[in-house]
Amino acid sequence: MICSLGDSIEGIVDSVRNKRIKLAHLPFDLARLPYTKPYYLIQRNDGDKLENRSEHYFYDILFSTVSHALADAGLNSAEIKDMDVFFGSTSMDVPVFESNYRKTSSTVAGMFLQSSYGYGKIAVTIMEKFGIAGSCYSFATACTSSANALLYAASMIEAQRIERALVVGYDLFSNLGFYGFEALKSIAAAEYRPFDKNRDGLILGEACGAIVLEGCRRKSGDLMHLGGANLCDTYSVTSHDAEGSVVAETMKRALKQARLGTGDIYAVKAHATGTEINDSTEAAAMKLVFGNEIPPVTCVKPFIGHTAGACGVIEQILFTESVRAGFSPSTPGFRERDEQLNLTPLTKNMDADEGNFMLNYFGFGGNCTTLILSNKASMG
Amino acid sequence: MSEIFIHGASAFTCGANDDVKHLKNELSRYTPDNFRRVNRFILLTLLGARQCIYEHSLDPGTAVYLTTEHGNLGETAQVLDEIYLANSLPKPFGFINTMSNTAAFYLAQNLGVRGRNIIVSSQHLSFERGLELVKADFAGGAERSALLGGVDEASLSRMFIEGQGGRGWQMVDGSGWLYVRTEKDGACGEIKEIRSFRDGASCVMWITEKSPVDVVSFGALIDDYEAAKLRGALRPAAEFDYLREYGYSGSATACGVGMFVRHFPGKTMMHINKDQRGHYAVIELEMF
Repeated sequence: MICSLGDSIEGIVDSVRNKRIKLAHLPFDLARLPYTKPYYLIQRNDGDKLENRSEHYFYDILFSTVSHALADAGLNSAEIKDMDVFFGSTSMDVPVFESNYRKTSSTVAGMFLQSSYGYGKIAVTIMEKFGIAGSCYSFATACTSSANALLYAASMIEAQRIERALVVGYDLFSNLGFYGFEALKSIAAAEYRPFDKNRDGLILGEACGAIVLEGCRRKSGDLMHLGGANLCDTYSVTSHDAEGSVVAETMKRALKQARLGTGDIYAVKAHATGTEINDSTEAAAMKLVFGNEIPPVTCVKPFIGHTAGACGVIEQILFTESVRAGFSPSTPGFRERDEQLNLTPLTKNMDADEGNFMLNYFGFGGNCTTLILSNKASMG
Repeated sequence: MSEIFIHGASAFTCGANDDVKHLKNELSRYTPDNFRRVNRFILLTLLGARQCIYEHSLDPGTAVYLTTEHGNLGETAQVLDEIYLANSLPKPFGFINTMSNTAAFYLAQNLGVRGRNIIVSSQHLSFERGLELVKADFAGGAERSALLGGVDEASLSRMFIEGQGGRGWQMVDGSGWLYVRTEKDGACGEIKEIRSFRDGASCVMWITEKSPVDVVSFGALIDDYEAAKLRGALRPAAEFDYLREYGYSGSATACGVGMFVRHFPGKTMMHINKDQRGHYAVIELEMF
């Protein structure tokens, strides 16, 4: 995975363990606004600078990430060829059009309409690059996009419809997203503080991550997908019902599909956008599901930002790699408990043992997705 | 395969330049709800799906699977121009509506359903991939009732220009839908098969072994030469050339299947499609 913390899993996990965060501050030059807002930008070298980016950069990040994932999984060429690809993103290839725009005199809209190959283009490009001959599915469900890609990849493997899957989550910086969330007044002023009494919004981030799924463990410590669920909360296009009933129902259905009870969950990775209402809804939903016995809750967005549709894959990698390294991450930025929420996320790294984990993801359009994972040796 | 019974179908197409007011007027025939902050893509979604479930009462657990090649193309272009040309922040609901799942959301909200809400795309085979997700969810017991649709605005996309522009089809906005359930009671037809092939030879081999069907139809990338070869293998009684009759959109397959369901009672059909990689997908339907 490549994100603001770098491009090596070991380095990223080490940063998480030690609460090292790299935050950039970006201006709104195009809208001539006299201030900046924070953003978790990939900043490895000069090539990562926004003004130096191009279509080539977009695919370099993607191919590098996929290449590392395939190598890490130890797949041979026949196994790679046989895979299906599940892709999830909010921005899709909008960053490509924006970078091209900087080099032409065309209007963005005109160029966008005339150069669009559709949402499926990126997944097909992955398949062509790596000689993958299976089917491809590109999910566009806002911030749950790659979580839903994981949900379907896992269920198709479990049903033995496919043998293995490459699941990719990718959202690169775009002015569309950065200016759009600012228009919604959703971006925090300076610091990510999910569930904190003084939380003031989300901070976007960019990342690309890839996960290889198949029906059996290759290495000890590989996590196993036990179940998941997706539901639509029709309360509002921008927010979920404050009582959290549909969010809670999603968690319950995921537990049921995994054949687990609430007491079987060792820790929860919350979606935790850091906005006033989303954190409130998620806390209410967790109470509906777990009562007063809410498991330890971790929020990973303060490390890498809200990576939009990529966050399903990105946060699963960040969380599970931390667990493999022996800890559940703390929540940087959390300082003051919000008595209305009555929920305190992990403020220190917690030793991670064998257990079952709940990963929650929510998004615009009422989309709710919960995944249940396990690293128990007895599972699988 | 798990059983997927068809309980309703629709296929709405209109000219690329048709007024949004026309879409709103047409939609008002199916729902009294007033939709403010919606765009062309959302209206197409609502209109096609509303026509599909007209006179049906839906289970609240019904899922929505919206397939699309380009998504909310028009609004995305407008918002980009707001940022780059007008030098302003985009309008909040304009930005939100660039996310194509808002269309599936407004549909679920209008219908009062809260099952799975999925938007999936796959170049040239989006509708077929959506059907595969429905099949997986029905088989796994995650869903029992679903609306599966394909929606695309007419666009001057490179895919169209390079792939289909020379065939003389009219470019249209399209919204085609199926209302499917695991229950047979009240159904008008059945999806007998959805199958994918990694090359043409294995597709031909499979359809050669099938019983002759009444009707065959072909997707946009099957040219005349290949269509003749496939007809020879399949020996259908007739061909339904929906692209020539009704026009092309990114969701032409969804519209073609919807039209077949509405206009060919008692017939069987095989829809054969392929993508630019030479992968094939076949949908086999039987109408009662």
